[in-house]
Amino acid sequence: MSEYQDFLQERDRLDFMIQQGYSIKNIIENLSGAFVELENKEGEKETLQILTPDGRKYFSVLLLKQQKTGAL
Amino acid sequence: MADLRINLAGIQSPNPFWLASAPPTNSGYQVQRAFEAGWGGAVWKTLGDPILNVSSRFAAVSFNGQKVAGFNNIELITDRPLEVNLKEIYETKKKFPNHAIIASLMVEPKQEKWHEIVKRVEDVGVDGLELNFGCPHGMAERGMGAASGQVPELVQKQTYWVKEVAKTPVIVKLTPNITDITVTAEAAVEGGADAISMINTINSLAAVDIDTWDTVPHVGGKGAHGGYCGPAVKPIALHMVGECARNPRINVPISGIGGISNWQNAVEFMLMGATGVQVCTAAMHHGFRIVEDMIEGLNNYLDEKGIASVSELVGKSVQKYSDWGDLDLNYKIVARINNDTCINCNKCHIACEDTSHQCIDMLKDESGKGYLKVREEDCVGCNLCSIVCPVDGAIDMVEVKSGLPPMTWNERQAALGILACGVDPVTK
Ligand SMILES: Cc1cc2nc3c(=O)[nH]c(=O)nc-3n(C[C@H](O)[C@H](O)[C@H](O)COP(=O)(O)O)c2cc1C
Ligand code: SF4
Ligand code: SF4
Repeated sequence: MSEYQDFLQERDRLDFMIQQGYSIKNIIENLSGAFVELENKEGEKETLQILTPDGRKYFSVLLLKQQKTGAL
Repeated sequence: MADLRINLAGIQSPNPFWLASAPPTNSGYQVQRAFEAGWGGAVWKTLGDPILNVSSRFAAVSFNGQKVAGFNNIELITDRPLEVNLKEIYETKKKFPNHAIIASLMVEPKQEKWHEIVKRVEDVGVDGLELNFGCPHGMAERGMGAASGQVPELVQKQTYWVKEVAKTPVIVKLTPNITDITVTAEAAVEGGADAISMINTINSLAAVDIDTWDTVPHVGGKGAHGGYCGPAVKPIALHMVGECARNPRINVPISGIGGISNWQNAVEFMLMGATGVQVCTAAMHHGFRIVEDMIEGLNNYLDEKGIASVSELVGKSVQKYSDWGDLDLNYKIVARINNDTCINCNKCHIACEDTSHQCIDMLKDESGKGYLKVREEDCVGCNLCSIVCPVDGAIDMVEVKSGLPPMTWNERQAALGILACGVDPVTK
């Protein structure tokens, strides 16, 4: 499968979490990729592992948007 | 007809094309012929304490039939008596009062030595001085040239000594044999330099003869490292000029040198911050008359662009030369193959398949004829396929909208920092 398909899946998973009212609380990047920790208003937590470079660009854009607008 | 005159720190010349200090400027005979051919200025072959040269001095690197892609020398400064050079400088200046003659100088790092030579060359009417802190061989072993040009304190001190007595503008010629040329450029400015020039030659060994096992060149079976110049060094020189031009602490004009072979190269150096350029290898390869094409080409270029004076080019690309961390990570280009012009050599497919991202597919049309197509979503826009393609225009690199707003690495890291600790690590 092409890396692009991997990215599309990662993007969908990130978009889905945001649509569900989650926001990014923490990001840990290490040799295993990036771990995006999200939380919703009820305090429920989810962690997404993002492996593709385009995926890492994508959550960075989401984070910048979140910090600029205070929301996603 | 555009105005090609330049004024580099007070040194005026009818055009931006100067001959660099090297064999083409060894004598009055040569410099006068060069001025007749159209060169705007000449930096005389470096004057200094007496030296001796070896025989077998030059070597060139040919690449795939291209002669002199790079040029290597183990020649030192002038070996002619100072008096003879001074007399010829005087005569040449008298014959060509409107052309720039700059004396290149190199003596031991001693105040009285610099004072003496500066006074003597200024007495014969030079328009400026260029301090050669760059020669990488021979002189360096005696504490001169690159040996002093690699030590910022020595660059500053020697520039200062020259400025104590100099009446004409002082250009400091820098060596590229250093990790960060802006450090020595700053030292030159602190020493009072009116301008800087770069680059001198890069430490090199041209080749080893695989039959005799001798170095190329060799002097009776023995070799020594030399200095590299010519087209191969142009990217290195251009980068160094750009780094100095965009450094706010280096606020003096730059004379660009290194691999300049035609008017286009000269325009590149001027756009990247050079006020004028110097040429050595191209003149040694093709003779003085290459300047005719350079002048004509530059003139036409300026006229076509509607630019009245060549000085208007200076530094126009500098603000576009940034740091990697300030580039937009969401800018995206992809390769597109024009099947009408493609000759189906498959070089691009092999390049992408073997050494890039495996995204040029070999497909067949209805008639069974093979063609290539880029899977754009997997293309990272590395340019490799278009670089190896032998047919101009067969591959276009085109911008595609990523759908994401611009974002630099620095902005991204700042956002991650805020998330981690609540503060912006870039501004704090
Ligand atoms: C054979 C030879 C001798 C040179 N001698 C000197 C010299 O005496 N003084 C100096 O400042 N630079 C000297 N250079 C360096 C040139 O002035 C110039 O900085 C360098 O060759 C890069 O320009 P190019 O790529 O146009 O040749 C010499 C270069 C060559 C090839
Ligand atoms: S630009 Fe790079 S990744 Fe894209 S098709 Fe060409 S070689 Fe492959
Ligand atoms: S390298 Fe150029 S000419 Fe060769 S197959 Fe690719 S696009 Fe066609």
